Amino acid sequence: MLKLADVHAYYGKSHVLQGVSLDVGKGDLVALLGRNGVGKTTTLRTIMGLLRPRSGEIRFNGQPLIGLPAHRIPRFGIGYVPQGRQIFPELTVRENLLLALVTDRQGGAKLQERLDSVFASFPVLAQRVGQVAGTLSGGEQQMLAIARAMMTQPHLILMDEPTEGLMPRMVELVQETVVRLGQQGVSVLLVEQKVRGALEICPRVYVMQKGQIVFHGTSQELAQDRATQVRYLGVTM
Amino acid sequence: MDVLSQLLYQLVNGFVWGLIIALIALGLSLIFGLIEVVNIAHGSLYMLGAVLAWYVAEFTGSFWLALAVAPVGVGLVGLLVERVVLRPIEDRPIITIIATFGVLLIIQQGVLGVFGGAPRRIAAPFIQNFPLMGVGYPVYRVFVAIVSLLAIGTLWVFLQWTKFGLWMRAVRQNREMALALGIPTHQVYMATFGLGSAMAALGGVLAAPIVTVEFQMGLKMLVTAFMVAVIGGLGSLGGSLVAALLIGELEGLLSVVIEPTHARVVSLLLMAVVLLWKPEGIMGKSKA
Repeated sequence: MLKLADVHAYYGKSHVLQGVSLDVGKGDLVALLGRNGVGKTTTLRTIMGLLRPRSGEIRFNGQPLIGLPAHRIPRFGIGYVPQGRQIFPELTVRENLLLALVTDRQGGAKLQERLDSVFASFPVLAQRVGQVAGTLSGGEQQMLAIARAMMTQPHLILMDEPTEGLMPRMVELVQETVVRLGQQGVSVLLVEQKVRGALEICPRVYVMQKGQIVFHGTSQELAQDRATQVRYLGVTM
Repeated sequence: MDVLSQLLYQLVNGFVWGLIIALIALGLSLIFGLIEVVNIAHGSLYMLGAVLAWYVAEFTGSFWLALAVAPVGVGLVGLLVERVVLRPIEDRPIITIIATFGVLLIIQQGVLGVFGGAPRRIAAPFIQNFPLMGVGYPVYRVFVAIVSLLAIGTLWVFLQWTKFGLWMRAVRQNREMALALGIPTHQVYMATFGLGSAMAALGGVLAAPIVTVEFQMGLKMLVTAFMVAVIGGLGSLGGSLVAALLIGELEGLLSVVIEPTHARVVSLLLMAVVLLWKPEGIMGKSKA
């Protein structure tokens, strides 16, 4: 479904992605792990077209994404839950969700149905629907960021540390949501610092180090691979 | 005319002139808020609106046609300027100051070449006065106030209640996320610059029968619009509206007792005080 092959990208002169290759299949829950600053966020931003790679290939269902204007990429059915949530603080919860219909092929048909469906996942948003998003708590803002991505009914969602700074109860809710998305056939590429939590929900794992993929396998394989854990993640399980 | 009726006259005048200033400053503020371009050419777009209106009125005899054509024509110029001049330098906001200054020179000198340097007049569509506390007040200025209020109201409804308005507000708050949701931000930028230009031109057409039309009329207005935008808080539309009315009233009322040039000095002092007291403007948000 999503396939990156030997992607190289730069921020100015610094070579941040040094030949990243990975793939995500339909309904797959895939974790992308690694320490701070190894290129995980950059990988997601590159897929979204927010950073133009210098070489390599990114395909989604066979369609090459590199070189397309960034605003066209969500139209293929790719949702993005960026680091730090990036909700629109001065818009209401409802407006934040309505914005996700930009890419909509049905012109927002069945809008209420979709709102109901995200409210079913995050009931707190239904209560806050007219509230300005900047006044939500951090956890609620994260729910909104995920709900916004779900509103587009994407085939794939890229999530960048969605549990960062959340209370344990909220972390659980986010994890349940990811698992449920997978059951519904939506693929998720999940960037995480919290290794243990990510391994619990994602059957497949990539580990990055200095702009390269240094490990690829199942979560069990990583759980048993102490050397990789220590060397690239700084944790042991 | 006794002092009281003179004051009332200037109070109404200040309001009308404040609304014209608001149209222009709102365009400036809209452009700065969304695209982060300090549009030095804004005054010359106002002037271009008035000049275009003069041509249309001169050759068709219809002020109404001029009122419709000038904002649309200058709006199209705005679209072109965004696409051709600003788009290639969108990552370098500082350069846009120089680039828009270049646009100012091109428009101003272009108008000087074609239109000439002599000031000209456009006849107001209404020449009647109505009695206001014993003096006659021009009906046309009331019309100006109504059109300005309608335009400002329409802008508000457009931003608040239409899909494209929602896109504009989203782009203003977080450009990258807007892009990642699929909003064509370049189209939004172009439309914003076009809309801001059209508003400046509308101000130009409305002001034309009150002031005289000449190729340098944009310079004074540029200064006024910047003062208003800074006092109101750059990028804050509500702030621009309030500050425009404030400046309009202040300079209007002061002109009863002092020279207009001195009234301008008082406005500048007001701006200095606002900047010292609230550097982000009366309704601006501090970038903390």
